[in-house]
Amino acid sequence: MSEKNVTAPMKRHMGLRTSRAIGNSLIYALLICISIIWLVPFVCIVLQSFRVELKGPVGYVIPKQWGFDNYVALFQTDFPRWYTNTFISALVTAMLQTIIVLCMSYTLSRFRFKMRKPLMRFMLILGMFPGMLTMIILYRVLKDLGMTQANAVPGLILVYIASSGMGYYVSKGFFDTIPKSLDEAARVDGATRFQVLKKIILPLSKPIVIYTILTAFMGPWGDYVFAQYISFGTSSGMNVAVGMYRWLNKDQIANSYTMFCAGGVLVAIPVTVLFLCLQKYYVEGVTGGAVKG
Amino acid sequence: MASVKLTDVKKIYDNKVVAVHDFNLEIADKEFVVFVGPSGCGKSTTLRMIAGLEDISDGIVEIDGTVVNDLQPKDRDIAMVFQNYALYPHMTVYDNIAFSLRLQKMPEDQVYEKVTNAAEILGITEYLTRKPRALSGGQRQRVAIGRAMVRNAKVFLMDEPLSNLDAKLRNQMRAEIILLRQKLDTTFIYVTHDQTEAMTLGDRIVIMRDGIIEQVGTPTEVFEMPRNIFVAEFIGAPKMNMIQTQLVREWDRYFVTPFGTRMEVTGEKKEELLAKGVRGGEIMLGVRPEHMVLTENDGIPCTLEVNEMMGSELHLHVYTQDETRLIVRIPTINLTLDQRKALTYGKGLQVSFESKVMHFFDKETGMNLIYGG
Amino acid sequence: MKTYTDLEYLKLSKGQKLLYKISRFFCSIPQKIIGLFAALWNLIKKGCSLVKNEAVDIWSTFVNGDWKTKVSFLVMGFGNLARGQILRGLLFLLFEVVFIGYMILSGGYWLSMLPTLGTKGPEEVYDFVLDAYYTVYNDNSFKILLYGVLTIFFIIAFIYTWRVNVRQNKLAEQILAKGKKLKSGKDDLRSLVDDQFHKTLMALPLTGILIFTVMPIVFMILVAFTNYDGAHDGYYSNLFGWVGLDNFNTMLNWNVNSGGSVQSYAATFGEVLSWTLMWAFFATFTNYFLGMFVAMAINKKGINLKKLWRTVLVMTIAIPQFISLLYVSKMFAKNGIINGFLMNMGWIDQALPFWEDPTWARITVIITNIWIGIPYLMLITTGILMNIPADLYESARIDGANPWQQYTKITLPYMLFVTGPYLLTSFTGNMNNFNVIYLLTGGAPTNPAASSAAGTVGYTDLLITWLFKITQGAESQYYLASVVGILVFVVVALISLIVYNVLPSIKNEEDFQ
Repeated sequence: MSEKNVTAPMKRHMGLRTSRAIGNSLIYALLICISIIWLVPFVCIVLQSFRVELKGPVGYVIPKQWGFDNYVALFQTDFPRWYTNTFISALVTAMLQTIIVLCMSYTLSRFRFKMRKPLMRFMLILGMFPGMLTMIILYRVLKDLGMTQANAVPGLILVYIASSGMGYYVSKGFFDTIPKSLDEAARVDGATRFQVLKKIILPLSKPIVIYTILTAFMGPWGDYVFAQYISFGTSSGMNVAVGMYRWLNKDQIANSYTMFCAGGVLVAIPVTVLFLCLQKYYVEGVTGGAVKG
Repeated sequence: MASVKLTDVKKIYDNKVVAVHDFNLEIADKEFVVFVGPSGCGKSTTLRMIAGLEDISDGIVEIDGTVVNDLQPKDRDIAMVFQNYALYPHMTVYDNIAFSLRLQKMPEDQVYEKVTNAAEILGITEYLTRKPRALSGGQRQRVAIGRAMVRNAKVFLMDEPLSNLDAKLRNQMRAEIILLRQKLDTTFIYVTHDQTEAMTLGDRIVIMRDGIIEQVGTPTEVFEMPRNIFVAEFIGAPKMNMIQTQLVREWDRYFVTPFGTRMEVTGEKKEELLAKGVRGGEIMLGVRPEHMVLTENDGIPCTLEVNEMMGSELHLHVYTQDETRLIVRIPTINLTLDQRKALTYGKGLQVSFESKVMHFFDKETGMNLIYGG
Repeated sequence: MKTYTDLEYLKLSKGQKLLYKISRFFCSIPQKIIGLFAALWNLIKKGCSLVKNEAVDIWSTFVNGDWKTKVSFLVMGFGNLARGQILRGLLFLLFEVVFIGYMILSGGYWLSMLPTLGTKGPEEVYDFVLDAYYTVYNDNSFKILLYGVLTIFFIIAFIYTWRVNVRQNKLAEQILAKGKKLKSGKDDLRSLVDDQFHKTLMALPLTGILIFTVMPIVFMILVAFTNYDGAHDGYYSNLFGWVGLDNFNTMLNWNVNSGGSVQSYAATFGEVLSWTLMWAFFATFTNYFLGMFVAMAINKKGINLKKLWRTVLVMTIAIPQFISLLYVSKMFAKNGIINGFLMNMGWIDQALPFWEDPTWARITVIITNIWIGIPYLMLITTGILMNIPADLYESARIDGANPWQQYTKITLPYMLFVTGPYLLTSFTGNMNNFNVIYLLTGGAPTNPAASSAAGTVGYTDLLITWLFKITQGAESQYYLASVVGILVFVVVALISLIVYNVLPSIKNEEDFQ
């Protein structure tokens, strides 16, 4: 009797433990599956970028013949030009857009002026119009200004940054979490509004500044629509997305599929490295600001 | 080191909510004034208007004779301590305290001297290189005070500086603020919701409710001569007992009739009532819990509900025959152990009080019949 | 309908409660509509009284003002200059000079042409010297419309500035009457980094938005009332002009055939819209729940290597979508890796029609979108999941809730509450998710019945990709594109309005705080 009494709770305890172990191993299995599914396409791209024997799409993954031919071939196309275009526009956009977004979000988070609420509502409504529509006119205006096609880069940068003030939500959400009493203390201590921004808010906003730079950089880096409008069929004005998109057209794919993979690898590497280094800030930005909106 | 004068100051928010009604107050140089009141009474808003952190909807705020309505906080020469300390998290304690001095472009050696000097007074020298994150609540509070101290500002504003501290630390810091005040010798405006702080710190107390000043006076004045029921109940703990009763005037004699008993008002109070020419009628009779005593006979009969043993004193919650709740505060030392043991739930008691502790309030307006108006 | 008090309501059974809530909702609709009209009426009244007050104020400023003020009504900034505010005065004056100059030199022309958008198109002219025809380009409808809009903006800005100028004179008189000093130019400049700092900060961003978003949108809305397209580009080919509501009639009338297609534009629009809504719904909610699920799996107590799992997923965010999406689209192709793999394994004989069959294609884009979206959702939900107070779960466990009940009674309500606004933006974002659809399928497979002169329409086309296609190619029916754009706006705005009205996070903000 007494033995039974002792073991009964023990047994239940063991049951709990084994059921948790089974649950956990199921989750592990799931996570491994997910990781594989998420990584397979990228592994495939890398592998196929080294394929030499056939340049079109094939039904197998591992190349029969390895080599750097595709990478070499890239440099005989306009790819270096596209790459430079993309890099310059992404870099400049990242800097300017960050400044604009931070100005806007800081203002909307910290100042209480009469037009604040109407302004925010107005921008919300503006955002409901498909942005693509504006490209029809912007293209013609920029064309008149000589900022399209071969000279697409400045025009593109202008288009990217011009309306970036409307993307203030995430960083405003972050600024809202910094106590207002810090601003007030600094102002009582003798700081102007500008000094408050420079000496108090910005040093405390490192995650969101980096997040903003990162997203502002990644936008132009992978943009297709705007670049497609602005470069309008002129190869030297294209960015990588527009240029490489054509390689997968029906008439080109048989000859340039592997080249697309090689180009893809080259395009993906810098952002991926950048991203993994700054992952912490990105996650903070997304989780901190994105939802609060 | 300056006077502060508020004339008809008003705060109206965008949604037409009036936070502060015509606020008139003159604060003398080197005076310590406490704004006290329940939350939402407009005391912080008033302070923030003096600081320049809130726009002044109407009226005039003067510091040292200059109108500061349109001045930015930085141009008003004030120092302020915030409720949540508002320390700059990315700066060390030293940099926090030095922040305002550096904005004034003071040479670094003077900054060093001032900061270390302040730190020594506040006993935080060993934490100067730490970040606020690594400090306890009390230490953060000291840093916040230090930051305000080094400014040598004309006016020292404190917005509920102790309310984030635990009870023990609060008492300690309260004493230190008194010491600090003696050292700094400047004008203080202090906001709190805690009447004990107000009573112990203030030269003068401004009691506010719903954006209106209920009474301005020294601690003694507001305690002994409350203008109305609100002030009477707000100052003092536990709060003053209010008994609905009749004040009867017979020639030049006054009687009150709480709970069917009949007591004559004598002495000073009677003279004062006579001097004011009070007629009598329905009143609220206020008696502080500590002024009530237990008697064997001739008192008001009531039943004990709760007996709170506070250590040095007992708080007896009793109710009378018509279900009025009263609190009686009795020094523990006045009762024997047996007497105390007998004070259990349901015990019948009799309480009474003298004329000189009575406060008479108009039942309709709540104004003190003697000191009100 | 009977209304219950709170206590009566609590006594109802679950079904009755639901029924009661639903009937309450429908009963409140007429009231809400009335409320909407009342609000509109109030707005109009407010606007009228505002105009009246302004007029009265301007008049009284003129009548009561001194001569400096009176001159300022004609010469802007004169009052400022006369009273020693040189900087402000010069700015006002400069603005007036520029405005008048502009209106005389070109603004007047654009404005006068606006009603017709040009009358003289390009002409063939015979050159006797060269003995050849050459083309002379005359009016430019595009520029007329563009500069016409700009001029109207400019006029509004001028009226506003003039009003500010008048008000400043009044204020200056008041300040001087009180014996105070006016702000000098130096004070003005200093205040731009202090109490007026927000104006400095927002000047650039708002100018950008005005020029590159507001103006183009106004322009494009106007285009919907013209016949601007590839054949009427307003300068090189033919002029374009106003056509009134014709385009809306074409787009929304079921009986109007749309040049060459089997069905009307209205039918096509209906088809594309219904798929767009379907897509937005599935894309949003599959991502949401699966992302939350993955986040919970990674965050579960006792799971190791949390950081690794997260990094694997996060890494996929870094890779530009045009690479991953284009690549995945080729993976699912007939001769792609997936079909190849399945055939090599001998599981299928024929390639699966991932992109060829309408239903297959729609399901495949949704699944691919899950692959794209889960990492984001995983990150977002992780943050919120960690914010749910642990004591909620502890108390639920003590109350006897099993894991599923904990999920449905605590996690889910909390998540839905916090992410309500996010879900809305993500829904509308998905409606306009150009990248995923265009890069994956380009809208394919083609829907022959819906395709028309305006271009091909596919079964996976969203409104936004359809819009894009309309603007491409020689046809380029911009007027149709802008009609579609306006309709997209209307749909998005309607959905947002409805959701905002029922969303709990906006109604009871404090529930979970």
